[in-house]
Amino acid sequence: MKKTLCHFISCWLLITASYGAADSSLTRLKEIVAAPDFSLQDMDGNQHSLKDFRGKVVIINFWATWCPPCRAELPSMNRGWAKIKDQGIVMLAVNVGEDEYTIFSFQGDYPIDFPVLLDLKGEVINDWPILGLPTTFVVDKQGKLVYRAVGGREWDSDVLLNKIRALAK
Amino acid sequence: MLIYQVKCIYTCHPFYTVTMSRFVYTFIRCCIAAVMGLCLSLPLTAGVTISKDPDTALIGWKLNQGGFELELIQRLPDQTRAFFLARGFSPKVANDIALACVFQGIGRNTLKASEANSISVDLREWQLTSKGKNHSIKQKEQWEAEWSEADVATSSRLAYRWATFPTQQTYEPVGDYNWGMISFNLPPGTRFDVLVRWTLNGKPQQAWVRDVACAKDIHPEPQ
Repeated sequence: MKKTLCHFISCWLLITASYGAADSSLTRLKEIVAAPDFSLQDMDGNQHSLKDFRGKVVIINFWATWCPPCRAELPSMNRGWAKIKDQGIVMLAVNVGEDEYTIFSFQGDYPIDFPVLLDLKGEVINDWPILGLPTTFVVDKQGKLVYRAVGGREWDSDVLLNKIRALAK
Repeated sequence: MLIYQVKCIYTCHPFYTVTMSRFVYTFIRCCIAAVMGLCLSLPLTAGVTISKDPDTALIGWKLNQGGFELELIQRLPDQTRAFFLARGFSPKVANDIALACVFQGIGRNTLKASEANSISVDLREWQLTSKGKNHSIKQKEQWEAEWSEADVATSSRLAYRWATFPTQQTYEPVGDYNWGMISFNLPPGTRFDVLVRWTLNGKPQQAWVRDVACAKDIHPEPQ
């Protein structure tokens, strides 16, 4: 009887785990295409073009301060950035439609140590294959879109970061 | 080979005995346990659960079926008014949206990574019924088509576009999810049923979420 109970509990756990727990990772894009280039200002007025980062892996996060899942993932992005910033990887946060004063006051509660770029008119996001915020892409050293994440992730997870580190090698 | 003498307690006569190998005996026990486990797990992963936020008293409906999870959480019209007024909308337009039964929608793919586990949603395929009449969701494109540049500035349209639930969306099985406001386009306080439709790897799926209630247009005063 005890053995049957053990089998029963194991099977139940196996079945519920396979339904309930989604992998939290990155989708490898089926069609590898060039990332649309852009040129945007950061919070200090410096201009950044995507093509300037050719030869490095770039993580590009599209977000807004009013977006709850964006706020949820930003602290882990900042922790992830601390882990990878010396590993040939660039991280950029492209804010959609908000001015620097809004973002500056937001950063009092949510520090962001990597560059925040301002897509004030929403022109850049329209060029990218995005339907909702947040969406994050990983661009390889050749400037191609390789991975996408729709919705927030735990960006300080080494399982997730190792996929990106592998592109930087 | 070790032979077991077993009383066949599940389906046979209580005094009937059979002989079988240890392997067959263990296999049968595993099969029975698996069926029992599957039966117990199904009610936990399918259907709709309802919850009430203890702080705001707003109600949420959560559908969880076949790897697609959808939450519809009430928004008070005042919440929606405030959101759009703060983003430069005129009071009239902000009020029009606020009174259109806006919910916070959260869609999520909860399946394991595999090529066969993409979930796609198209809000135009959902069906609403209220008091025996059919209705439809008012999509973001329909709202935007009603506004002139004088009503809603470009920066405000941008906020609207990205704060609302995408009309079409695909969730990959790696933890993809998103949030956004959905306008059910019914008066405050209306109760309705919504037939949610999605595809799993291209195959159509659907489920009813019954007796959903639009939040009432109340203006609670501080105690």
